[in-house]
Amino acid sequence: MDLTGLFGKSPFEPMIEHAKKVHECVALVRPITDAVLAGDINRLNELQHQMSKTEFEADQIKDHIRQALPNRYFLPVNREDMAQFLSQMDRIADDAEDYAVVATFRRLTIPPDWHGDFLAMVDKVVEVSNSLLTLAEHLGQLQKQSFVGPEADEVLLKIQQIAHMEWESDKLSRKFARRYYGQPAVDPVTIILLDKLCRSLAGIADHAENVGKNLRLMILRK
Amino acid sequence: MTLLLVIAVAVGFYKAWNIGANDVANGMGTVVGAGTLTLRQAILLASVFEFLGAFLVGSHVTETIKGGILPMSSFVGNARVFGMGMLSVALASAIWLNIATLMSRPVSVTQATIGGIIGFSLVSAVGGPHCVQWSRLGTIAISWVLSPLTGAVAAYIVYRCVVRWVLQSRHPVYMAKMAVPFGYAATFSILFLSATYKGLPKLDLGLPLYQCLAVTLPIAAVIYLVARWIIHIRTQRERVRLKDRYQVVEQWFGWLQVMTACYMSFAHGANDVASAIGPLAGSMHAFSGQPLSSHASVSPWLMAFGGAGIVIGLATMGYKVIATVGKRITEITPTRGFSAEFATASTVLVCSKLGLPISTTFVMVGAIVGVGFARGIAALDMRVVRQILSSWVVTMPISAILSAGLYWALMSIPW
Repeated sequence: MDLTGLFGKSPFEPMIEHAKKVHECVALVRPITDAVLAGDINRLNELQHQMSKTEFEADQIKDHIRQALPNRYFLPVNREDMAQFLSQMDRIADDAEDYAVVATFRRLTIPPDWHGDFLAMVDKVVEVSNSLLTLAEHLGQLQKQSFVGPEADEVLLKIQQIAHMEWESDKLSRKFARRYYGQPAVDPVTIILLDKLCRSLAGIADHAENVGKNLRLMILRK
Repeated sequence: MTLLLVIAVAVGFYKAWNIGANDVANGMGTVVGAGTLTLRQAILLASVFEFLGAFLVGSHVTETIKGGILPMSSFVGNARVFGMGMLSVALASAIWLNIATLMSRPVSVTQATIGGIIGFSLVSAVGGPHCVQWSRLGTIAISWVLSPLTGAVAAYIVYRCVVRWVLQSRHPVYMAKMAVPFGYAATFSILFLSATYKGLPKLDLGLPLYQCLAVTLPIAAVIYLVARWIIHIRTQRERVRLKDRYQVVEQWFGWLQVMTACYMSFAHGANDVASAIGPLAGSMHAFSGQPLSSHASVSPWLMAFGGAGIVIGLATMGYKVIATVGKRITEITPTRGFSAEFATASTVLVCSKLGLPISTTFVMVGAIVGVGFARGIAALDMRVVRQILSSWVVTMPISAILSAGLYWALMSIPW
């Protein structure tokens, strides 16, 4: 009699797929910002369309993972931690999509001396997301090694680094906020939209940090 | 009577063939899947060890099935009834096994056999409910509940040890090189103990346990040292990059898993061949006109015959199953395969020694769950676990009814 029926479909490989899709969304943030700064509306609409398509694909993967994870499956990690991991990942993609949508609301004119601060913050957030992706790519291997050993230690260390990067991106965000709030005689709607954009970016970094924390719980708990 | 004898042999062979075609895949499949052995090598090793297990250790369990549940005394002078009964038992369990295989339902040969014995004895003229040793059956039923639990606990402990001392350590490759010889030594000593302590009926060494231990332990030590030395020689110039650490560890355990897969085959042969051949032995005994006695031991030739049936089953159909199992259970990495197989084989072998006819499949399921609880498996389908573990509740009555019906049919034919 063959025992293959005992083994359910592993959720870890699709989780890596999901993480890749989510990062694909975040990676679009930089080109969108470039288009915003260049005032290229056509390019923005095109990118926004691409973003919403990618986000939709990420959602599909997420739903698929949730559906393929019935309660009768016994998992090597806490089910709640895994669900949290997924939903935080999902919110990263949501925030990236928000960013793309807000960017298309109106044509923004941003003074050239702000560009540096803006781009620094954007790049930091993309970097956070990129580090998160390299972490998530470890999931399959971690599972093979039963969440212990040198590789797990390495991942735990990297989670710390992501938390640190989130703090750095917060600092950059504050610096940029001081710039656009502190400038007199700027169009208030531009300020509101910039603030919305910054909030989306901060959200991406925040949720990335939370994903890291969930991954740590998945490794340590149980 | 000669015709009946031929039929009995054919049925026994059919059953052994069925076992070979299906049961052996679980141990060997993962070794082939991991790429440690080729399909041909795996089948060769499985054949040799199935055969050895049946031949060297198997007779204990056969005794139990023949004499344990039904006292032979009630059949004295009724050899024909006994022979027909055992024939219908063998036929019923083989048929049920085949049906279950076609429906890809997990069932145990041992359980089908025991169900069949009860079924026939309830309807036979000299049998009846008072004839069945219900307390003995109770013990067997308890062993069916306890053996998967034992397998689970053992596999959990073995896998946790592997995790704790090898995977989790700072130098996993170095620790693997220490652990693998230890695993070889442990496997060998249990094999050796099972062969010397109350084993090898033909040799009949009759050594007490402490003497067996006294012989086994030095041998185990020698095996450890030799394995350690070979590994040392082979890896002297090898430098392992940090990235490849884990893979190298699994590779080393892959070689250990070859050993435990053979060990599984050995234990399977000892346990399941016996339950396949037991009824056959009984009926052949009866038909050939020998006096019935509860201590008539099964001839080694018969066990060899059962072993051969399994080997042919493996060669004609089992190889396909091994290949599919290997492809589909990628979850079982060598460290996990080693843990589950070592635990299963040890549990089965100890139970065979105690004369308990348990199910290898059950223990294997238990062991896989044990590895799962040690965080070793990505997604363990607990519903399938429950299904398999509760299958004996269905298997027993069905094979009982089948064997009762067959017995009635066989007796009503004027041979």
